[in-house]
Amino acid sequence: MSRDTNSLIAELAGGLQPVRPLRFSIGLGFALAGLAATLSVVALLFGIRPDVLVGNFDPVFLLATGLFLLLGLAATATVIVMSRPHVGSDHSGWRWAAAMTALLPIAAIITGIERGPAAMSVAEAGHGLDCLMAGSALGLLVAAVLVWWLRRGAPTSPERAGLLTGIAAGSFGIFAFSFHCQYNDIVHIGLWHGLAVVVSAALGRLIVPHVIRW
Amino acid sequence: MKSDEPSLARLMAMAQQGDRLAYRTLLLECGNWLRRYFGRRVPPGHLEDLVQETLLALHHKLATYDPDRAFLPWLSAIARYRWVDHLRRIYRAEETELDEDMIGANDEPAIAARISLERLFKQLPSAQVRAIELVKIEGLSVAEASRACGQSESLIKVNIHRGLKKLTAMIEKA
Repeated sequence: MSRDTNSLIAELAGGLQPVRPLRFSIGLGFALAGLAATLSVVALLFGIRPDVLVGNFDPVFLLATGLFLLLGLAATATVIVMSRPHVGSDHSGWRWAAAMTALLPIAAIITGIERGPAAMSVAEAGHGLDCLMAGSALGLLVAAVLVWWLRRGAPTSPERAGLLTGIAAGSFGIFAFSFHCQYNDIVHIGLWHGLAVVVSAALGRLIVPHVIRW
Repeated sequence: MKSDEPSLARLMAMAQQGDRLAYRTLLLECGNWLRRYFGRRVPPGHLEDLVQETLLALHHKLATYDPDRAFLPWLSAIARYRWVDHLRRIYRAEETELDEDMIGANDEPAIAARISLERLFKQLPSAQVRAIELVKIEGLSVAEASRACGQSESLIKVNIHRGLKKLTAMIEKA
């Protein structure tokens, strides 16, 4: 960079246009709109499970979807906060939500070990793969919204922002697909639904930092 | 005009609304502030480049400042990010001497201690700080740095890599 700093300042000041500060509530609104659109896609393309339609909720379904929703919200809120840099900000709150949600795969592993090989039949694995792929793919809309928001912002830790974008997208994606998936089994939900979040998080960590650096 | 926190925050809020005069004043004050901020941690020949890069980043990211929060923690987060990125990019600085006039020139009030570059370095193990200082700031080659501090060449490289990675993760840490 060879030009004089004063001339750079004059140039920047001369080209100034009013800007609207990034607001947390606006970012959250866009992300929730993405989640609502994702739920609509599930309802239109796959259909909502019958017991939910009649208001008959299984406890495992309620707990699991609630945890994925909370994890998605915590990760989304952190991503939006990360878009506005500030020395002194703490971006670690989402870890508690992640730790709570991790109880699902832990419970699945313990239950699966108790049940033995029967817990993982070929048919169940096939359905699990469907959930894994659908949950990960359904997170793409929320991921796109968050990446767009991060590109408008100034995340100082692109790697962490990418990881959290993946976690938010995977959590919301599998949360939405849970309204179609008929399984209430903790082994299925803990392993396959949990894996959708892990896969999305890994993809987010790998891909997103490259598109949000500034 | 004195570049104190309330004045800078007020200028920034006016700049976000499109006030060019306030923005020009703000950029001049930020330029001075950044020269003091980076003074100890950048070779003199790189200082003005880094100040300009940071001012450009500030310009492109104007919307990320929240007028309800303090200004200097926002500016220092951007400055730290650009500084770590700068350290990543340079392998051998052309100049090896620090400008002694810059050292100790940072006379900001107590809050400056929490947003300073020194505070970031204090979070790293001393071997990583030494490796980064010798190679990335003072401009020694890896072999020269190895002789200067007694770490093997491979350890110098590892410490630089790990140190920069940690710095990246701690940019917003107060």
